[in-house]
Amino acid sequence: MKKNKFRYFIAASSIAGGILAVAACSKFLDKTPVGTLSPTVVYNKSGVEGILIGAYSLLDGEGGNGGGWGSAASNWVYGSVCADEAYKGSTPSDQGDIVPLETWTATSTNGYPSGKWSLCYDGVQRANEVLRTIPLAKDLSADDIKEFTAEARFLRGHYHFELKKVFNNAPFIAETVGVDTKPEEVANVDANGNYVNIWPQIIEDLKFAADNLPETQTEIGRVNSWAAKAFLAKAYLFTADYTNAKTVLDDIISKGQTSGGKKYDLAAFLDNFDASKQKDDPEIVFAAQMSVNDGSGTSGTSNGNYGDVLNFPYNAGPGACCGFFNPSQSLANSFKTDANGLPLLDGSYNTGSLISGKTSPYAGNVDPRLDWTMGRPGIPYLDWGLVPTDDSWLRNDQGSNGRFIPKKNVYYKSQKGSLSSTENNWAATQLTANNVNLIRFSDVLLWAAECEIRIGDPEKARTYVNRIRTRAADNTTWVKMDNGNYADKYKIGLYPAGSFNDKTYALNAIVFERRLELAMEGHRFFDLVRWGTASATLNAYAKYENQIKICYIYNSLQTFTPGKSEYFPIPQGQIDALNADGKTNLKQNPGY
Amino acid sequence: MRLKTTCIPACIFAVLLILTTSSAFSQQKKISGKVTSAKDNSPVAFASVTVKGTTIGTNTDAAGEFTLNVPSDAKTIVITSVGYLNAEVAISGSDPVTVSLKETTSNLDEIVVTGYTAQKKKDITGSVAVVNVNNMKSVPSGTTESILQGQAAGVTVINSGAPGGGSNVRIRGITSLGSADPLVIIDGVQGSLHDLNVNDVESIQVLKDAGAAAIYGIQGSNGVIVVTTKKGKGKSKITYDAYIGTQRPLSKGFNLANTSEYAQAIWMQATNSGVAPEHAQFGSGASPVIPDYITPAGAKEGDAGTNPADYVFDPGQADDNRIAKANKAGTDWFHEIFKPAMIQSHTISASGSSDKSNYYFSVNYLNQEGTLLNTYLKRYSARINTTFSVKNNIRIGENAYVYYKQNPSITNQNEGNAISNTYREPPIIPIYDIMGNFAGTGSDGLSNAANPYAQQMRQRDNKSNTWGMSGNVFGEVDFLKHFTARTSFGGTVENNYYYYFNYTAYENAEGNTSANSFVEGSGYRSQWLWTNTLTYNNVIGDHNIKVLVGSEAKNVYNRALEASRSNYYTTNPAYWTLGTGDPSTQSNTGNSPYQLALFSLFGRVDYNYADKYLLSGVIRRDGSSVFSKDHRYGNFPSVTAGWRISKEEFLKGVSWLNELKIRGGWGKLGSISNISATNPYSLYYTGAGNSYYDISGSNTSARQGFYLGQYGNTNTTWEEDIVTNIGLDATILKNKLDFSVEWYKKSISGLLYQLQFQIGNYIGGTAAPYVNSGNIQNTGIDFSATYHGTVSSDLKFDITGTLTSYKSKVVSLPPGYKYVDQTSSGSSRIGAFVRTQPGQPIGAFYGYEVLGLFKDDADVNKSPTQDAAAPGRFKYRDVNGDGKISDADRTFFGNPNPNFTYGLNLAVSYKNFDFSAFFYGSQGNDVINYVKYWTDFPQVFGGNVSKAAVYNSWLPTRTNATVPKLEQEANFSNTTVFSSYYKEKGSYLRCKQMQIGYTLPSATLRRFGIDKFRIYVQAANLFTITKYTGLDPELQASDLGNNSNFGIDFGNYPANQKNYNVGVSVTF
Repeated sequence: MKKNKFRYFIAASSIAGGILAVAACSKFLDKTPVGTLSPTVVYNKSGVEGILIGAYSLLDGEGGNGGGWGSAASNWVYGSVCADEAYKGSTPSDQGDIVPLETWTATSTNGYPSGKWSLCYDGVQRANEVLRTIPLAKDLSADDIKEFTAEARFLRGHYHFELKKVFNNAPFIAETVGVDTKPEEVANVDANGNYVNIWPQIIEDLKFAADNLPETQTEIGRVNSWAAKAFLAKAYLFTADYTNAKTVLDDIISKGQTSGGKKYDLAAFLDNFDASKQKDDPEIVFAAQMSVNDGSGTSGTSNGNYGDVLNFPYNAGPGACCGFFNPSQSLANSFKTDANGLPLLDGSYNTGSLISGKTSPYAGNVDPRLDWTMGRPGIPYLDWGLVPTDDSWLRNDQGSNGRFIPKKNVYYKSQKGSLSSTENNWAATQLTANNVNLIRFSDVLLWAAECEIRIGDPEKARTYVNRIRTRAADNTTWVKMDNGNYADKYKIGLYPAGSFNDKTYALNAIVFERRLELAMEGHRFFDLVRWGTASATLNAYAKYENQIKICYIYNSLQTFTPGKSEYFPIPQGQIDALNADGKTNLKQNPGY
Repeated sequence: MRLKTTCIPACIFAVLLILTTSSAFSQQKKISGKVTSAKDNSPVAFASVTVKGTTIGTNTDAAGEFTLNVPSDAKTIVITSVGYLNAEVAISGSDPVTVSLKETTSNLDEIVVTGYTAQKKKDITGSVAVVNVNNMKSVPSGTTESILQGQAAGVTVINSGAPGGGSNVRIRGITSLGSADPLVIIDGVQGSLHDLNVNDVESIQVLKDAGAAAIYGIQGSNGVIVVTTKKGKGKSKITYDAYIGTQRPLSKGFNLANTSEYAQAIWMQATNSGVAPEHAQFGSGASPVIPDYITPAGAKEGDAGTNPADYVFDPGQADDNRIAKANKAGTDWFHEIFKPAMIQSHTISASGSSDKSNYYFSVNYLNQEGTLLNTYLKRYSARINTTFSVKNNIRIGENAYVYYKQNPSITNQNEGNAISNTYREPPIIPIYDIMGNFAGTGSDGLSNAANPYAQQMRQRDNKSNTWGMSGNVFGEVDFLKHFTARTSFGGTVENNYYYYFNYTAYENAEGNTSANSFVEGSGYRSQWLWTNTLTYNNVIGDHNIKVLVGSEAKNVYNRALEASRSNYYTTNPAYWTLGTGDPSTQSNTGNSPYQLALFSLFGRVDYNYADKYLLSGVIRRDGSSVFSKDHRYGNFPSVTAGWRISKEEFLKGVSWLNELKIRGGWGKLGSISNISATNPYSLYYTGAGNSYYDISGSNTSARQGFYLGQYGNTNTTWEEDIVTNIGLDATILKNKLDFSVEWYKKSISGLLYQLQFQIGNYIGGTAAPYVNSGNIQNTGIDFSATYHGTVSSDLKFDITGTLTSYKSKVVSLPPGYKYVDQTSSGSSRIGAFVRTQPGQPIGAFYGYEVLGLFKDDADVNKSPTQDAAAPGRFKYRDVNGDGKISDADRTFFGNPNPNFTYGLNLAVSYKNFDFSAFFYGSQGNDVINYVKYWTDFPQVFGGNVSKAAVYNSWLPTRTNATVPKLEQEANFSNTTVFSSYYKEKGSYLRCKQMQIGYTLPSATLRRFGIDKFRIYVQAANLFTITKYTGLDPELQASDLGNNSNFGIDFGNYPANQKNYNVGVSVTF
């Protein structure tokens, strides 16, 4: 009967359904995660290799926890803007968090240090994850274990080194630290409430890497023993252990080579900042590798140099955004040279006319590195033409940012679209394949010179410094106008024999050489703190800038507070989290 | 084994079905009769006729007649029909029965569809708000959730003016920091109100407390909206409903400076900073000079480079000279991009029923153009609902809805969209340069804003299309007199497809040489739901019993992909395909699919004694795939009771009291909130940006890497909501006044919260699992009342008011958290505006409290030490009284949650005329006018400024100013921190709609075969009364899925634009 058919249909489907429900019940609620890797899939050699690459990938300062411009690999904010090298740039309130940093009034709720803190500890834990995974992967040879361990410990040492430089009192996080670790087990203070010094652990990691890594690697971005040694020497230098530093540095200078197998040497100065040349340059001891148009550009945490995307000319040229990181007038002035081509070590560079001053600009000799360090009005800006003299490449509409624009992180017009991104990213035109050079060989030579002055042979120190100056004196690399003339009165000379016998003079010369050679590369602030001269130098700088009123930030006098301003505040959110139980496990830096 | 036992009921259920559906009825007799209306003796079609206490029944046909086979022992039949009082008739012999139904004046007998079942309103013990669908439909809108606003007590809705934009819908406050969206059930299947054709809606009920919603278990914690769509009823008819109208942009806009005022502000800014004013456009000297051209910068007529022959289009390069004239009066950017826009909607439906079947069929076309250029919602939809009575005791049917829509949207509430650029783009900039290319901030010295007109025009050819299907098929069997078994299988499949083109915005200061790019993507969302229920219904003397048991399985599966390329040879839309872009720039991505499964068993008992004492109990057992095996199942019970006091003898004599019921309940709900579907597992991730690295130094490729992406937690389980509800329903004054008032408390415990590791960032970037920790508590009062007034037989009116109040308070947070700062996705330039902290409401504004501006140096000196303190800057409150303003002086200074929101519907009919009005308001909420950050501080990017900044900012000669000193410095005492300067009162009262209609006399129409013909004119958003100085105080969250922060104005697509419509409703 027709009607009954329907009844049976419903009954039958209900029965079928009921049976299905019973059959499916036990598995129905088990959903396997898709698009991810369960731990067992990575507990093998290729898995560990992948996790190691993941640990490298934060060298560019972006991609993990934290991030943003506060964690830029170049340290442009902490190393250069907070020192005497550059102004924040842009309009006054743009990236307002940099303002208190630049004027040494930042508080612990500032977002920039917080980004650096998180990113570096993410790097630490990614390196730790390699160390934790190695024992779980059963197909590793003894050589694999040695190699992976050494690379991971190098990276862990590096990330801690960054934390140490910026925050000083950051604790060391070993591979034993995980979800169950209690705050008191990772305190930055001991039982007596004194800060714990982590230099020994950083040095131990770097030393392990130096002792266990091979001299060369098949990939040039992978750390080798010599790069690890350079970091080790730097750590010794930061702990004023000149004896150990000198031993390692001598070794590096005589035998060191790049991961690609090139003996360390000075390349042409400008090649260090050219993505088409720098990657395998004999001068690059270790760099954060950047790549563009690799499919990561749309992700917001691309593999290009996102940390420096703000640091381009405004509205024109290679950039179109955002007008940050403008070299300071003081920095430009320091490139003045005397009749012998030597810098004005007595500090007189700030007296008299200004380099590129709007009225009666300085007309004397300058170090040729000036025009590879910054864009100046009327001077060729790589192959982008002359920097306009009306300052239209600067973002001066809401207050002046001086007259200079950054250059070392900028690509050539001929590289646009190949070494700069064309991906769908808001800052595509400023996203570059330019590496951030963490250690250049000239940096190594100047450390060695410093060691020689302090505990060794002044003449050897002079030789090191002159080696760098000789390179800069190669007039084939000087900036030229279209007509083939040099763009300015370039003059650079060597320190004469015996001039370094006066240790004070010599040390001053080395300090100054570092300023000229490594300007705008994020090292200056940490050097000043290491030398104990930050307060004197930066307060003098602030005073001078306040007098000339070229940058709006210095319209009122800023002061660097010795004993406080040398380090940046530990993020308040972290202090609140770690001390939630009422005990001081994470103690704020002095003065904050 | 535990898992198996949970499956047994489903098995039993199936077996039961087999046994019962094949059983035959015996010993029957046939009765027949006719149902008429007592008013005019007209037949009542589609009235329900059932044997009392059983499920045996039928419906009357179009002539009001019925026949029914009843058991020989049946004594009484019950006749019910909407709009009439129920009638009970004794069965005597086999004579035809004639039943005359009296019209009801109260809605107590109204059948209300609740969870898996239906109840008479008078029997309800839980908290259920019944929406007046006619009132609701009177508000024109493209989305159905938006018009729930003010229509049901306990429901808060926050809308925007974006066509097809989403709304924040909250039932009884914010119950989760993640999604607080209620569950929407359409014809028994989970669905969405967003794309529903409102004309298809028959009824909407909102289940608010645990008593009502516990039957939905873990999906009910945010409340449940139960929608029933129309079914065919009575004789066949065709209806046509349509309106067409125009929406008008706000006349005022943002109240910004014109060109000379803008220049003046720049001059004030420099002078106040002790710097000689100098500007690329306005020159230097004592006062600004407005140029004739902005490119070349600051040029006068006849200057070098202004000859059109000198025009060079070469963005970013030295020879570029895109000559553009200054707009000396000032471009009104707001009104350049907001234009009057059309709205229209047409629905044709056909419906009808016989005693064996009913059908409802409708098609709808909706076209809502946005007042913002190139924003629109176009939707085409169709619905077919049918039910067939195969035998007296078997029904099968389906509900099906399909739609297709085109709805390209903007990112509302965001600093970078065109709306925000109208207050950022300087007024001196014209729309076009002299050659008809866009002009913009690429001209020197004019900030970094984007030309908002160009921004919207470039959206023109973008596509965003979605099509979806939803609905179910079902079968019902009545058996053994008292039982009904029902099975329903349904769900939703939705696909979206979109593409957009990013033009090179050559006219702007930023990104003017970026490569163009094309992005194309698609997503797939699916969900099925299989529900089986068995109902038992019996009346034994004064005992009225209803029992329901059921099982339900649900499965969700979503995935999406997107790809892009750059460097398109031409921007012509005809050229846009993924293949025609530069292959070296290609990029593609796919999300991990979202998978979720639920399996549930539930039961419900409703009992009433003598229609006086009501008792109801519900239990649901839910299992979810998002938890580990051992913590997967949860039980969610509730108990409610009611007492109809008016039925007691001692109140029988009280003539003014028609009905009085008190009710109360307690119950437990659950939630999975927005927990990650893979929460139990520790997983490694990979991502091109996050974990790839160019280890080989290649410049353009990166090696794949992995990272530990998340730690799993196998102990995580349900979030639990305990809800207590006490309510009172009354009808008084000869059924003229109905009201209902309820108090509730909702305690949410074991909040699913992403753990903060005790050791903070030391754990690295691995995401923490969600754990059960932290509590939120909401309390509130819902009130609604309706007054039915009759002035004369010609003049009648109805007034309905609703009032919703909630107080949400964070009770505790997980260990390790003292507070959580909540940044907004709209902008985070001055950090988080909101802090979640125990003792505070969700969304509370946190920062420095501004006492005023420092008047002078003396004021600075006598005040607590404050970084960068100076006359004309903010004076902050020293909250801890230590004489120094520091981070520790930040405080809670505002609450975006209103004290209450209210709606008032007024309906008047006079002869053939009708008039209705709807008012909605929000009282006592604070809002943040973040627009001021951009327009009151020229040092913030230097875009346009407000008139207030020009005329009311601090000067040495104007120390009683309201706006801080215009200056070049940005610091702690002006713009770099969040302060109460941005806070304003957000209360408002809005006339949401007002309309006058006229129904043509039916006698005339009948001649043309028309049953009903009504025309009306309408004004929506006629006025808004508020003290808020921005566009509109109705401010939804910048991310609708995140309830932690809202009430912040980033330049909102205003919801208060006037809209004038004419409409028609015809029935054949």
